Amino acid sequence: MNKLVVILLTLYSSIALAVLEVTVLKQDEDAFPIVISPFAVVGDANQGRAIANIMRDNFNRSGEFKASSASYVIDNNIDFDKWRDNKTEAIVFGKLEKISKKVFNVEIELIDVYSSKTLYANKFAVHDSGIRRIAHFLSDQIYHALLGIKGSFDTRLVYVTVANKKDGEREYKLEISDSDAQKPQTILTSPDPILSPAWSPDQNKIAYVSFKNNRSEVFIQYPFVRRKTEKLPYFDGIASAPAWHPNGESIVLTLSKNGNKDIYSYDLNTKKLDRITKNESIDTEASYSPDGNRIAFTSNRSGQVQVYIKNLATGKINRATFEGRYNAKAVFSPDGKSLAMVHRVGKDYRIALLDIKTKDLTIMTENKLDESPFFSPNGGMIIFATNKNDSGVLSVVSVLGRQTFELASKAGEVREPNWSHYSK
Amino acid sequence: MIKLMLVVVSAFLLSSCNETVDNLYKKVMPKPSVVAADDESTKGGAAADDESTKESVIAADGSKFKSSGNGFAGSNIKSTSTPISPEQVAVADLKSSGVKFTLYFSFDGFGVDDAATKEIIKHANFMSENPKLKLRLEGHADERGTREYNLALGENRALAVKEVLGLYDLSSRIEVISFGEEKPIAQLHEESSWQKNRRVEFIYE
Repeated sequence: MNKLVVILLTLYSSIALAVLEVTVLKQDEDAFPIVISPFAVVGDANQGRAIANIMRDNFNRSGEFKASSASYVIDNNIDFDKWRDNKTEAIVFGKLEKISKKVFNVEIELIDVYSSKTLYANKFAVHDSGIRRIAHFLSDQIYHALLGIKGSFDTRLVYVTVANKKDGEREYKLEISDSDAQKPQTILTSPDPILSPAWSPDQNKIAYVSFKNNRSEVFIQYPFVRRKTEKLPYFDGIASAPAWHPNGESIVLTLSKNGNKDIYSYDLNTKKLDRITKNESIDTEASYSPDGNRIAFTSNRSGQVQVYIKNLATGKINRATFEGRYNAKAVFSPDGKSLAMVHRVGKDYRIALLDIKTKDLTIMTENKLDESPFFSPNGGMIIFATNKNDSGVLSVVSVLGRQTFELASKAGEVREPNWSHYSK
Repeated sequence: MIKLMLVVVSAFLLSSCNETVDNLYKKVMPKPSVVAADDESTKGGAAADDESTKESVIAADGSKFKSSGNGFAGSNIKSTSTPISPEQVAVADLKSSGVKFTLYFSFDGFGVDDAATKEIIKHANFMSENPKLKLRLEGHADERGTREYNLALGENRALAVKEVLGLYDLSSRIEVISFGEEKPIAQLHEESSWQKNRRVEFIYE
């Protein structure tokens, strides 16, 4: 089985397409200054040099760090006074040593400059093909050692790209990539729109909406194994807005049986459908709380488009948003305490963060047409789609409001981002 | 009571159903009126007139084609071996007569006003006279707001049109689908485009 996966991954990477361009928009001066030194290389292990570069990019994108390199290879022999004067708070250095044709040893160490103590150290063998993955894994480890919370680097994105072909037709692609937009793979190409992709909690499946049969239907695709894409059973009307239960065994979606758009839960094992909302208005865009006990959804039941939360244990539905006349597509933060959503300000649609308990609403962006927010798995960032220079791009804002970076495609528009859970 | 009212409404609408499409033209034509589902999108309706006349390339008698390569007129010129069905001719006739095949809606709205209802009734009459025809109503939205909500909104717009046609007992021949904001007619990120994109298209099959 493992062999099969490896072969398929190779197959996919051979048809990989253009990497999204990453642009950091704001560099915050208060960000935590760290130095990630180029690694020492013993023998012919040059391919391993990428690890330090990938880590530096990761930390800079996070918005919480200002990661720089050093003009020389740092080793155990650290001049702490110099680095303290330099206002560097932590140093990462390492060593690569070739042990066979495609395998080398990696050593890494993180040192706190002020206490001169080692905060993290590790040593292991890496195969040539695992360099990126290891760089993301180490970024997560170091992020955790410094901040006490897990990083979101060893994770994946899924998004939709749209390109206008020469014959005037549009081409939609469902693509997955690493969290830094590298290693993109096209897992579906279609002349018909693709919407709302969502990683399953085990990160092996992607649910999405396709119009390939000239109507919106929900599909589940397996990006890493040769297994046929499944279509959820045919329902009269719309089938759309899929979101996974945290246990991965069911999906909430919007169905419009008899034209009435309500939220249902579909059990992937028993194939049973449970109705979650019953209201004549539009109910859609459901998403589970991380504990699976609540569902947030969009409804126009009040006459305005607002976000509601249903408590699945008590069956009670409460309105969550009161500020503004349009709040939609809410998703829970990983700690379950807040919701990110699309919030209308005047004529503009922006990403806002709502504290569910206090009802405090913070507007996170200053754009005109933001949509589809989704949290990074550690809750530190929100990725969303927006418009820039008349084209769709993805943008990421730190929940602390610190920094944003953008992911754009030269080939056309990028939209509908979704961030995976942690890798297993 | 509600049932009774519905019967009354249906009877009223059915009475106009007896009028032929030709008679209706005489009433509404010669100048195609600007049709909008409600006030806010009046301009959208006007703008779309240009679009719909562009598509009306089949002559009223259905025998000769003033081709601009648009719609099935163009394709029929190339393949003369494919006979044109009487239904296709009838649809082309209806279209060239200026009946609206696209209705426009206000921002976030899915209400059908009197003018739009009048246009829908023309289609109801037409369908009654052509019992083989099926109609697909495609609902669309502009890009503002979220994609999934707009998908729901597009369906509501198409359903609002179907509701009127349903009074003529045509529901079983009507398919409603929504594309939300996914298939815009106009691409600019401003009201001039948005009003063209908030629409329901009538597609006969």
